[in-house]
Amino acid sequence: MGKQEDFVLRALEERDVRFVRLWFTDVLGFLKSVAVAPAELEGAFSEGIGFDGSAIEGFARVYEADMLALPDPSTFQILPWRSHEGPATARMFCDIVMPDGSTSYADPRNVLKRTLSKAADKGFTFYTHPEIEFYLFKSEPEKGKKPTPLDRSGYFDHTVHSFGSDFRREAITMLEAMGISVEFSHHEGGPGQQEIDLRYADALSTADNIMTFRTVIREVALAQGVWATFMPKPFTEHPGSGMHTHVSLFEGDQNAFYEAGAEYQLSKTARQFIAGILHHAGEISVVTNQWVNSYKRMMTGGEAPSYVCWGHNNRSAMVRVPMYKPNKGQSARIELRTIDSACNPYLAYAVILAAGMKGIEEDYELPPEAEDNVWALTERERRSLGIEPLPKNLNDAIHVAESSELLAETLGEQVFDFFLRNKRAEWDEYRGQVSAFERDRMLAVL
Amino acid sequence: MARDPSRLELIRAGFTDIDRARSDLDRLGPEGPDLIAYLGKTADPDAALAGLCRLAEASTQDGRGDEAVRRMVGEVVDTVADDEGTAMRLLCVLGASQALTDHLVAHPEQWRELTDPTLGSTRAPAYALRSALLSVVGADPAEEVPVATVADGEACDALRVEYRRHLTRIAARDLSHDLGVDDAAAELADLAAGTLDAALAVARARVGPSHAEARLGVVAMGKCGGHELNYVSDVDVIFVHDGSAEVAVRLASQLIRICSDHTAEGTIWQVDAALRPEGKAGPLSRTLASHQGYYERWAETWEFQALLKARPIAGDLALGREFVAMTQPMVWSVADRDGFVDAARAMRRRVVDHIPAKDADRELKLGVGGLRDVEFAVQLLQLVHGRTDDRIRETATLSALAALTRYGYVGREDGEALHEAYAFLRQLEHRVQLSRLQRTHLLPGDEASLRRLGRSLGFFKSSADELERAWQHVRREVSRLHQKLFYRPLLTAVAQISTGEARLSPEAAEARMAALGYADPHSALRHLEVLTAGVSRTAQIQRALLPAMLQWFADGADPDGGLFGFRRISEALGQSPWYLGTLRDEGEVAERLAHLLASSRYCTDLLEREPAGVRLLGGDLRPLSSEQITEEMVATGTRQADGDKATRAIRAVRRRELLRIAAGDALGLTDVADVGYGLTRLTDATLEATLQVAMTSVAAARKLDAPPTAMAIVAMGRYGGFEVSYGSDADVMFVHAPLPGAEPEVASGFAKAVAEEVRRTLSASGPDPALVVDADLRPEGRQGALVRTLDSYAAYYSKWSMVWEAQALLRAEAVVGDPGLRERFTAMIDPLRYPADGLSEADIREIRRIKARVDNERLPRGADPALHLKLGRGGLADIEWTVQLLQLKHGAEVPGLRTTQTLAALAAAAGSGLIEPEDAEVLGEAWRMASRVRNALVLARGKPADQFPRAPLERRAVACILGYPIDHTGEVQNDYLRVTRHARAVVDRVFWD
Repeated sequence: MGKQEDFVLRALEERDVRFVRLWFTDVLGFLKSVAVAPAELEGAFSEGIGFDGSAIEGFARVYEADMLALPDPSTFQILPWRSHEGPATARMFCDIVMPDGSTSYADPRNVLKRTLSKAADKGFTFYTHPEIEFYLFKSEPEKGKKPTPLDRSGYFDHTVHSFGSDFRREAITMLEAMGISVEFSHHEGGPGQQEIDLRYADALSTADNIMTFRTVIREVALAQGVWATFMPKPFTEHPGSGMHTHVSLFEGDQNAFYEAGAEYQLSKTARQFIAGILHHAGEISVVTNQWVNSYKRMMTGGEAPSYVCWGHNNRSAMVRVPMYKPNKGQSARIELRTIDSACNPYLAYAVILAAGMKGIEEDYELPPEAEDNVWALTERERRSLGIEPLPKNLNDAIHVAESSELLAETLGEQVFDFFLRNKRAEWDEYRGQVSAFERDRMLAVL
Repeated sequence: MARDPSRLELIRAGFTDIDRARSDLDRLGPEGPDLIAYLGKTADPDAALAGLCRLAEASTQDGRGDEAVRRMVGEVVDTVADDEGTAMRLLCVLGASQALTDHLVAHPEQWRELTDPTLGSTRAPAYALRSALLSVVGADPAEEVPVATVADGEACDALRVEYRRHLTRIAARDLSHDLGVDDAAAELADLAAGTLDAALAVARARVGPSHAEARLGVVAMGKCGGHELNYVSDVDVIFVHDGSAEVAVRLASQLIRICSDHTAEGTIWQVDAALRPEGKAGPLSRTLASHQGYYERWAETWEFQALLKARPIAGDLALGREFVAMTQPMVWSVADRDGFVDAARAMRRRVVDHIPAKDADRELKLGVGGLRDVEFAVQLLQLVHGRTDDRIRETATLSALAALTRYGYVGREDGEALHEAYAFLRQLEHRVQLSRLQRTHLLPGDEASLRRLGRSLGFFKSSADELERAWQHVRREVSRLHQKLFYRPLLTAVAQISTGEARLSPEAAEARMAALGYADPHSALRHLEVLTAGVSRTAQIQRALLPAMLQWFADGADPDGGLFGFRRISEALGQSPWYLGTLRDEGEVAERLAHLLASSRYCTDLLEREPAGVRLLGGDLRPLSSEQITEEMVATGTRQADGDKATRAIRAVRRRELLRIAAGDALGLTDVADVGYGLTRLTDATLEATLQVAMTSVAAARKLDAPPTAMAIVAMGRYGGFEVSYGSDADVMFVHAPLPGAEPEVASGFAKAVAEEVRRTLSASGPDPALVVDADLRPEGRQGALVRTLDSYAAYYSKWSMVWEAQALLRAEAVVGDPGLRERFTAMIDPLRYPADGLSEADIREIRRIKARVDNERLPRGADPALHLKLGRGGLADIEWTVQLLQLKHGAEVPGLRTTQTLAALAAAAGSGLIEPEDAEVLGEAWRMASRVRNALVLARGKPADQFPRAPLERRAVACILGYPIDHTGEVQNDYLRVTRHARAVVDRVFWD
């Protein structure tokens, strides 16, 4: 047993921890948790905790499968919202392994790890920085009722005594207590909408942090008697919740996206990487935007893209190359604007990295930059510029994904299968729903 | 005293160019000949003498020519008169090292260094080396942070000259004072330490006053860290700093350049920082906390193995010590990490695999029996046992080996022999490098170099041959010992006999077994105890055999199972005179046996049924031809008195041939198509021989003179398609044709009895595996008659035939029994299965409908369709139905399609454009993969299964049999899923659309 494991066991003693939650993530990005008592933890470190691995397959599970959750001691944290008084609860993320000790190809965290290590073989490390949007509602959701947003303020409005800023203060305190640095926060465009940015980190840490973040935000909201949601598009009339992510590759200490003197200081590697993401944009869409609801965020313009293109400071582009501050070569990065807050961050970052790496490996040519607001162009103009649309709904996305070798290779055959099985089921169920829209429009006239 | 040396005297002294030697001696003047005896003891007398002349010329400032030489020699000889040590030191260096000769010629004043009499007795202390090296660059050794004051270019040159001055002194000690190889290596490491400190002082001067913004510690790794450096090798380091990262990185990179740049005075050596966290991609230096973060979270097992040698060596030693103190506990707990066993196995594999083929046979370091073998073995043992026993935590290889031997972790004789072998190899490596001060681990092949090296190691007669012989001996010795090193102490540990040497404790023995991959070390040790108990010859041979066997088991999927199987077979065969002898004398048999026992339950079962099968493993494992087998089976069968005995004899031959095919398959020697073909032919032969025996015995029982009817057996299903696996049923149909004049009743009664007899005798339980003969595919299935006449088949098919029956007939091959009848049967079914005008739309619809129903209904409950080998997505049935549809549609027009074999039909379909070649390739690959997995699964678990394995042991065994590393079971499954997904996409297009 290593030093870290010892550290964890000691912390359990000193902090009087009664339960340790072992966290892992299913293919859809839902956090799963197995609680163990500290006494069981020593065994869990060496042998793992057995569980029915089909839990990882999302809603559409079929077969039971014995798997083991192996806690990663470097992710140990006391959960601050359960430690105000009395005994504390702690959590660790787990890797999922097969009973023979080999890593499970079905584990999303392992999908990201595998993809990162493939990039590392080529000398790259992958850094990400997400800006996470979400909504706060006055109360728990009720079936069939439209939720009431917490406030009515808009983008960058400063409201004295706004409940939202209290909420953010509390959430930030708690996140920092869990070792998650928060970079900047402001109020987003819709009523009750919030944004909190996580600091730059390697993609695995970021993905772990996003999973923690979502939990913390929900817990804080509950404690304050309100409801937080990461649903991509809760209102027809207000903007959706995206998770714009800035990404960059490092080669050793050097930012591989930066080249002094090049156009927008974009290195060849960066251009190939963007080309890779654009080339495979349709295929990975089902992962970066995985819900029926996700596609409703992407059809209204504004902050969410619906066309495959890139631009410099062009907010309608799928990939945006931001302006750098001078002499900040290390902060060179690109911003991906498709991803939404309800994705599985492990899978989403894995497929983005894989698409980008493909661009580098196969030396893709970067198409010309989109300079105009692509929303304002006509269909013909877009076609003449070679700007393709992203999938318009989940069904289209599934269809493209089904024949994607990149996606199968990156996710591994098992996750690829589980994931698409879930998505097909979701689409089939949705297809049969009679919606309020139909009733409102038709009952009166037909 | 002037005299003229005779040619013979010079030849005896070891000169090769006598005329040149005479003229050189002449130049040395009257005292010259006095040096002959000393020159005769050097590695290369010609070179030593020539070097002396060059040196003399160079050291006399005013002069050129002979006068100067004489004066110099006068001085040497005068010195020698008092002290022969000086002459030996100087001449040995000149004779052994071209590079140091050049150095002395360039700096002639330095030869006087070698007059220092303390060289023979005293090792230069590390601090003195450091002081001297720092002083020449103008840094104060007493300062805590010394900075060079000499101008940069000069400082670099001065450092090189000073480094070589000390190197010359060490070489002189080494060559003429019998310095132990470990001492020489330690002194070289000290010299490197001082050099790094001096280089750091120069680096500080380069960086300027801002150097104070960072404390930089240099931690030596590898040979330098182990205090066992070579004359010329990369010096491996890791940097750790406190303060400004930017300054630290600048200091570190300057330090590296100062040592490795080529200046007018040459270079020192490369400083290699690639062992640092993240290797070349990582930052050159890290803070202590950053190192800690990395090692706790990211580091791999081999990185901890490398840290075994970490030692603070230069720069800020306190920081270096903190680094070592931080990493050591992690090093000593690495054996408990998950995957240590796999990592160790992988490392061992890597050592063996990474030999560049070109130079393999001249490599001192890599390669079988090289230095790396010893170093790796010693480190692995340290990691396994060092956690609980700090007495063996030595950094130098030889010290560690001595400690391991002293405390019983290595057998005493083995330890001592290995010590000697390692010392020899290192000494040889040193001498090879010393010649030109080049970083090389290759033993030169030319006669002159070998002669020089041989002489330097004390082989003065037939030097080259003796050296070559000694080296080959040591190599063999190392590879022999290497294997036993891990395992022999285990045998001592369980032995009841007292040997008087330290023994592995039971706990340590179990820890070692566990580290080698045995899941239940306790039972494994019990098996060892039983196998080696006593003083019998058997036990003695077992003790000699087991170290190697244990290693082979450990390389397999199930080491415990392998050892247990070996115990049972050894108990069964214990007294057979040939058994242990064969294993001992025929290495291949033992190795094959070990691999089979540790990966294949099926083979283990066959061997346990008849242990004598072990003998077969020494021979050719390719399947025999069907004629050979049939001939043998018929001969042995008909020799027996009654039918049952005859069938038993036939089944014994079958069992032996099954073992041959299974062993060839499990050892990766036989291709999957050949396995199917071999098993099919074996089934043919078995049925043929059994049919003959049954016809004779039924005729006898019914008191008939001769059989009243001709009989044949038609192979169906996978059997007909040459695709049987181990343990598959044989699907068949029986057909007969009454001979002219025979009573139809008698004939059919006879045929039915024969068919039943064939089925009964082959499926009866017995010592040999049964062959279930399944006739359910016959017309009307189980309701139909077991045997029909040819005419009855013809009548049935003309009246009732459905498209699915035509489909089943695609794989009908009449192979056994009366040749004429077989031909007529084939002629009768060909028009049915290859319909002249292909298939109607209705037929195609019907086939698709049946397939859809089969997909839905036949899959067992709870089975995962993606992982079902036969009925799953892109599995065998998908591919076969697709091919069969093409055969039914186009068989009449494309002759190549008229085959019962899937792959052959697929190739014909691709060849005639019925399917895209890429699609055919995808289907073929999936078919082969699914078949291989299916066969591997039977081999691994001993009984058939249609589902991709879930149980850990089976997954490992299947991975092993398929040729994957056994810890990559997830990869096998992922590959299987990918290949079958592609196949399914093709099936969707070709079969369904």
